Amino acid sequence: MTHDSPRLTEQTARLLALRTDPWLSCEDCFDRMDTFAEALLTRPGADDLAMRVHVAGCPACAEELESLVELVARENGLDAAPALRRLHEPVG
Amino acid sequence: MTQELASEGTRVLPAAATSLAPLDDGGPLTDDEALDWVATLRVPGPERDRALAMLHALMERAARHQVRRMRHLLRPADLATVEELTTAAADGALAALLGKLDTFEGRSRFTTWAYKFAILEAATEVRRRSWSGREVSLDGDERLTDPGPGPEQLVLAHDLADAVRLALDEALTDHQRRVAVALLVEQVPIDVLADRLGTTRGALYKTLHDARRRIRAHLTAAGYLFPTSRTGAR
Repeated sequence: MTHDSPRLTEQTARLLALRTDPWLSCEDCFDRMDTFAEALLTRPGADDLAMRVHVAGCPACAEELESLVELVARENGLDAAPALRRLHEPVG
Repeated sequence: MTQELASEGTRVLPAAATSLAPLDDGGPLTDDEALDWVATLRVPGPERDRALAMLHALMERAARHQVRRMRHLLRPADLATVEELTTAAADGALAALLGKLDTFEGRSRFTTWAYKFAILEAATEVRRRSWSGREVSLDGDERLTDPGPGPEQLVLAHDLADAVRLALDEALTDHQRRVAVALLVEQVPIDVLADRLGTTRGALYKTLHDARRRIRAHLTAAGYLFPTSRTGAR
């Protein structure tokens, strides 16, 4: 590949250069997913930086956590939107 | 602990839709009835059989929810098998859950903990179905396409993209480059790529994590990232 090769899109370039520290594995994310989903839905100040960083860099885990938040919210009469907004707040 | 769970009288096992009230004390959620789930599932007998049936129904509910979220990924032929896919995912999730029953620590409600198994199983199965029969090329650098003319504000971003492309070429191992390009450029689902490469989702994500660190170090050395910056280009 040379410098004259076709360019990546901006979005893809940023995903490739995304900082994914603090490190969290997909297995760790799965282990913490239920606790974090409930925290997002029920505690406005709750946060888990490692989870949010991981979700920003792993579309599969992001889809699954968003889905869990939506399902638990729906079954408990809660609004998922604020929780999902906090999940995807910039990690700084 | 001020968390209030809507109970349903003297039920031994909880319904799926007991309510979570917002918390403001920062403490963990607990579900007293979760102990009944775990204890009941451990002891063979009619109560366990009943609990398993209820749990399978919960798994189906969550799997159906997940399949519906992702049904846009399925081809028309697969849409006819949505119920079959849902049931298969629920079966797999129930087996996975029972294998990990001893790891449930009560940090969330049992149903929330259970749902995640079904969501994972269903999402993975939808991704596999949506990519079945599709080739996953692992050339590593041949799919880096030109995005075409973009807004003026992307001039700097194009500089970053050029720098990232150079970093892919110069900073990564062949394996890291193949994995990073497949996952993020070609957008091959991580479960699908893991299947094709005979590895695990976790191993691929670690490879991607390491690749990103190398890309960032390359970009930092080239002046495109500040050492303390988390995501941004200069």
